[in-house]
Amino acid sequence: MLKISNLHASVEEKNILKGLDLEIRPGEVHAIMGPNGAGKSTLGYVLSGREGYEVTEGSVEMQGQNLLDLETEERARAGLFLAFQYPVEIPGVSNMEFMKESVNAIREARGEEALSAADFLKKAKEACKQVNLPLDFLKRGVNEGFSGGEKKRNEIMQMILLEPKLCILDESDSGLDIDALQVVAKGVNSQRSPDRSFIVVTHYQRLLDFIEPDFVHILADGKIVKSGDASLAKEVEKTGYAWLGAKGEEKEA
Amino acid sequence: MSQWLEQVIERAEKVSDHLSAKRGEALSLLRQQRWPNRRVEAWKYTSLTPIEQLTLVEGATNQKIADIPAIPGVNSLDLVFCGGRLVTDLSGLSLPKGLNILPLSQAQQQTLSLFASIKPKQHLFGLVNDVLAIDGLLLDIEAGADITQPIRIVYLSQKDSESHNRLLVRVGEGAKVCVIEHALGAQSSLATEFAEYKIEKNAQLEHYRLNLRSGKALDVGGNHFFLDEKAQLNSSLVAFGSDLSRLDVDIVHGGEHANAKFNAIYLLGTGETFDLHSCVEHAVAHGTTEENARGIIGDRAKAVFNGRIHIHRHAQKTLAELNNRNLLLSRRGQVNTKPELEIYADDVKCAHGATVAEIEEKALYYLRSRGISRSQALVMLNYGFIQELIDELPNQALADWLAPMLRSRFEQMEVK
Amino acid sequence: MSEQIEKALSRKYEAGFVSEIESETFAAGLDEDVIRRISAMKQEPQWMLEWRLKAYESWLKMEEPEWAHLHYPKIDYQAISYYSAPKSMKDKPKSLDEVDPELLRTYEKLGIPLYEQQMLAGIAVDAVFDSVSVVTTFREKLEEAGVIFCPISEAVHKYPDLVKKYLGTVVPRSDNYFAALNSAVFTDGSFVYIPKGVRCPMELSTYFRINEQNTGQFERTLIIADEGSHVSYLEGCTAPQRDENQLHAAVVELVALDNAKIKYSTVQNWYPGDENGKGGIYNFVTKRGICHTKAHISWTQVETGSAITWKYPSCILKGDNSVGEFYSVALARGRQQADTGTKMIHLGKNTKSTIISKGISAGHANNAYRGLVQMGPNSDGARNFTQCDSLLIGDQCGAHTFPYIESRNPSAIVEHEATTSKVSDEQLFLCQQRGLDAEKAVSMIVNGFCKEVFKELPMEFAVEAGKLLEISLEGSVG
Repeated sequence: MLKISNLHASVEEKNILKGLDLEIRPGEVHAIMGPNGAGKSTLGYVLSGREGYEVTEGSVEMQGQNLLDLETEERARAGLFLAFQYPVEIPGVSNMEFMKESVNAIREARGEEALSAADFLKKAKEACKQVNLPLDFLKRGVNEGFSGGEKKRNEIMQMILLEPKLCILDESDSGLDIDALQVVAKGVNSQRSPDRSFIVVTHYQRLLDFIEPDFVHILADGKIVKSGDASLAKEVEKTGYAWLGAKGEEKEA
Repeated sequence: MSQWLEQVIERAEKVSDHLSAKRGEALSLLRQQRWPNRRVEAWKYTSLTPIEQLTLVEGATNQKIADIPAIPGVNSLDLVFCGGRLVTDLSGLSLPKGLNILPLSQAQQQTLSLFASIKPKQHLFGLVNDVLAIDGLLLDIEAGADITQPIRIVYLSQKDSESHNRLLVRVGEGAKVCVIEHALGAQSSLATEFAEYKIEKNAQLEHYRLNLRSGKALDVGGNHFFLDEKAQLNSSLVAFGSDLSRLDVDIVHGGEHANAKFNAIYLLGTGETFDLHSCVEHAVAHGTTEENARGIIGDRAKAVFNGRIHIHRHAQKTLAELNNRNLLLSRRGQVNTKPELEIYADDVKCAHGATVAEIEEKALYYLRSRGISRSQALVMLNYGFIQELIDELPNQALADWLAPMLRSRFEQMEVK
Repeated sequence: MSEQIEKALSRKYEAGFVSEIESETFAAGLDEDVIRRISAMKQEPQWMLEWRLKAYESWLKMEEPEWAHLHYPKIDYQAISYYSAPKSMKDKPKSLDEVDPELLRTYEKLGIPLYEQQMLAGIAVDAVFDSVSVVTTFREKLEEAGVIFCPISEAVHKYPDLVKKYLGTVVPRSDNYFAALNSAVFTDGSFVYIPKGVRCPMELSTYFRINEQNTGQFERTLIIADEGSHVSYLEGCTAPQRDENQLHAAVVELVALDNAKIKYSTVQNWYPGDENGKGGIYNFVTKRGICHTKAHISWTQVETGSAITWKYPSCILKGDNSVGEFYSVALARGRQQADTGTKMIHLGKNTKSTIISKGISAGHANNAYRGLVQMGPNSDGARNFTQCDSLLIGDQCGAHTFPYIESRNPSAIVEHEATTSKVSDEQLFLCQQRGLDAEKAVSMIVNGFCKEVFKELPMEFAVEAGKLLEISLEGSVG
């Protein structure tokens, strides 16, 4: 699904990722944990092609395609989905309008027919139900006036609708109470399938109680310093990140 | 050209001192000025008729000063002008360390460089002040000085005379000071008082302008501030109106990360006019401005508020907010307000708002039916938005002194 | 990111073609004789000619206004031709079959087929080409309902009493420089009368086209909604792409008698000039309506064209309980200058007005909202709410707000709010991460910003307006 080799990336000329390797096969769930400033969010932005995040070395392949050659929207159309940690508001543009354009742009890229309004609405309602969002959220402006938890659920709702191949969840647990967390996790788990992979970026182990990862990686100072199975997350929960030494505690860029 | 302005020019031609070069410049600009009518945007709502036909009379030089009203608890260092002349004996003052006071009449390099350097040239009466302000003061606060005693400049006007005063203030790098400009009097007179403030890097100025003239005391003045990098200005205006009262406030963000706060309260009694023009120039990035002007307008009174915020091309990341609220008490009164935004940079957050609210007769009736007097009910229902700004005054003693005075002024206003 | 937005904004003006039509055009220049000739061409009665001449007399005494925020070279009023009409229109074609097919093709190309069977059912169109009305559709159907919808030049002959009674009553002949000029030289435009109690059975619309070079278009529209009647009127306009600036100085007068309602919508897409500011229409327009008791006038405008736009569709709320509304989207890009807004003059008791203005500035353009809300001494209980939002795209443009508020009544309430924002990198990134390209993303964000105004447009127009923004924002994204 995804092969990252020796990835180096910088933001405003500051090196954040410093030789990251990661391989993800279809159907796998990889959790990426690490202290603040390790480059966890940067990884999501680099993979999705955010402006200002410059790849200085290394390669990323997704399903055999060189991901780094593609524009942000082309990556999205190829099946990459990023659930944002802090989703931005777009006043006046309804969730429905936004998702309809998005779904159809992605379908068109796959050579599929655009969905009819009725079919789309049906799917959208279904997706809302899965994350316990009232249906009037479809009519509201994208993230406009949503609470933190609603924004996170809205991201998962979009993920369900867009049926991506690779989902990157950037701290989808932060700021959520236990009930909201379970809703998010339930939404994610419902989407697990043999041909869909996940990267779950999180600071805490808590989320991984609900979304069980196949692999856990510890990211520190721009590199994966340790990999293991789900038990690694539990270990981190107990010991924290102190064992990484001072380097792990740099401030987020 | 008005008769009055002709006399101003005539008299200015005779003024000769060390500021002659600066005054000459202003005089030539003044000669080019046309006497503004209502079609001139800056005077669209305020008529200059009361000044137009005045006969220029200078204030007498030797005079007894009336009692200066003290502001209890403020313990200010008072510098008093009467009829355009400084009447405080500077040599008798003991000054805190770091504060230097120089009369305008003494040639000083600082005076020359500050004079007319911050006040924009387009203010007609500012130019008049340039040429006629014979007396005035330079307050120079040395870098790093923390002047804890507030400095109060008191402007008294004499009956049937004119006064023109100039105040120049330099707040040196990292210095802190509080300046109170206090104008009073109700007798027939004309005053122009313009002050220029240079707030240098990291310096802080707490400023008050108490425009408490009323009746026939005509009053046209200006406060002009220049903020250097990380400078902080907290300025509060409290104004009554008179037959003609006008104040121009200019705030220029000349250095990045400067912060300006400007609050204005105006309470206009019967037949009074007050015209406030403010202009905030964000010339550089990362500046913040917060401006709040609130007023109550009584019978046959007129309030004019023109608040302009100008964000220049490179002033990215500016945060600027301006708000104007008015309460009109009479159908013979009027409010004219124009909050203007002029924005040339895209990454800024700017907002302005203006409201004219109503007297809620139903609520008033309800309170009165419970035995509360009409004036008391009015205060309860409508005075809160003024009280909010009074509560924001940084000097508590000053606020305590102003609060009952303003409240009783409001209680005396007629609702028609 | 901002580079992508810039690219997404690069324009394509789709209505910029020129029609090859033989025209009769007056030589450039303006004097009394020109006015007499215009009047003669229209075979006008003496009173109309005299009205024009009085307007001309006052115009001569007036000075062209100078505005602080608009910049353009002085207009040479003697270099403009004040009348131009297709030769084929001289014989007054009786039916569409007699109309020059090239004219019909022009409108077809603009998406306005003039054959009734091809048209959207609910809309009657008056098509004005340079100085004359080409055709007015669905007239018979409207007549059945008693609605008069015809070129104003025809109304002068057929309904002189109505024209005499109302022309110049809302916008007086000497109201302002451009209104006076229009009063002297107006050539055509639409006339609408809705009788008492009639709800106009279809949308009325006029489509203005400037084709001839070096001509000005001076149209005049007069809409009278008699007591208790309702009408919705649409106005569209385009012009060919030319290097010279052309002047368009229209006057629109609306009269809403007691309990009447007029909804007036404009989609203005005059040629805006090229990216360097060469060419384009100067759109100096006076639009005003008067509301009698309980009457309601609603202005909705989408302004995307013209090199300079100067217009303030206004409402005089004379009658008690009358309502005025102004919904506006103004998009200025390239070197365009838009200065637009409204005046709400509250005279009657309990009058209400709402102003929603959305200004979008991009490229090197400047967009200003200029408005006046006036509460007269007798406007007891009057209310106004104003919301002005500006969206800046790029760091070379300007967005300005000049709201004048004048209140003389203690029971009147005025509320004004203004904000400014930009299309943020985060918004663009979110859209792109969801698979949308930059162009689509910008256009979606801009459309979202304008939503409150678009929802006021009649259905057919809302679609057109949305498309217009899309076309305006179209371009190649690398």
